[in-house]
Amino acid sequence: MTSTSPLAIAEERIVLRDSVQGWRDAIEIVGGILVDEGNASREYVDAMIASVAGPNGTYIDLGAGIALAHARPENGVESTGLSVLHLDEPVLLADDPAHPITVFIALAAVDSSGHLDVMKNLARVLTDESLRQMLLNATTSADIVSALSPKE
Amino acid sequence: MKILAVCSTGLGSSFMTRLNIEKAVKELGASGVEVEHADLGSVSPGSADVIFVGRDIYEAASGLGDVVSLDSLIDMDEIRTKTAEAMTRHGVRFSGEG
Repeated sequence: MTSTSPLAIAEERIVLRDSVQGWRDAIEIVGGILVDEGNASREYVDAMIASVAGPNGTYIDLGAGIALAHARPENGVESTGLSVLHLDEPVLLADDPAHPITVFIALAAVDSSGHLDVMKNLARVLTDESLRQMLLNATTSADIVSALSPKE
Repeated sequence: MKILAVCSTGLGSSFMTRLNIEKAVKELGASGVEVEHADLGSVSPGSADVIFVGRDIYEAASGLGDVVSLDSLIDMDEIRTKTAEAMTRHGVRFSGEG
């Protein structure tokens, strides 16, 4: 059962919005989920925003309209976790026209490589054209759960 | 041969890139290629034979030797092509198509 897999993402970790006021708003929303779920402190959300606003901050743009928002473990991570924000109307990361983002995935990680299984599953989904489209075209949380569900 | 995937924090974008390069190396049928990930601040010239970065980090990483810039960290076609080119530059043989 994928719903009981430790890698499966729960619906309460997913938010869908038509639009947001800007990229900061987007990271507040997706980071806020990590705070609500106990993966990170408020400081972590601020660190993710500061990272994007800083030099080369748009490096969290993975391509294809998907961004992996994250900061360092020492910025307030409590436990490993993911959350997702899906936008109908893409927002410009760091207000840069080269970086329109439709899906924000926020990652809290306790160290630099302990989240291997989480990253492997994400890499598998995001490099698969059809699963990536399922994620980008999602209209419900269930669509996103389905796209991100671990496979055998 | 050692390839290092690098980003600012060393645990998100670089980890994703590393896993995708490992997949490309496997698909290309190469062996003897070690792939790791790291944060930009911990890398110095000589840390690896080739350094892969996202396009936004490219300038900051340009003094580190053989640096490859990726437009997307999840486009396997681009990653496969650039991994094959990097292996060719460093004399690594592989059986698959680049």
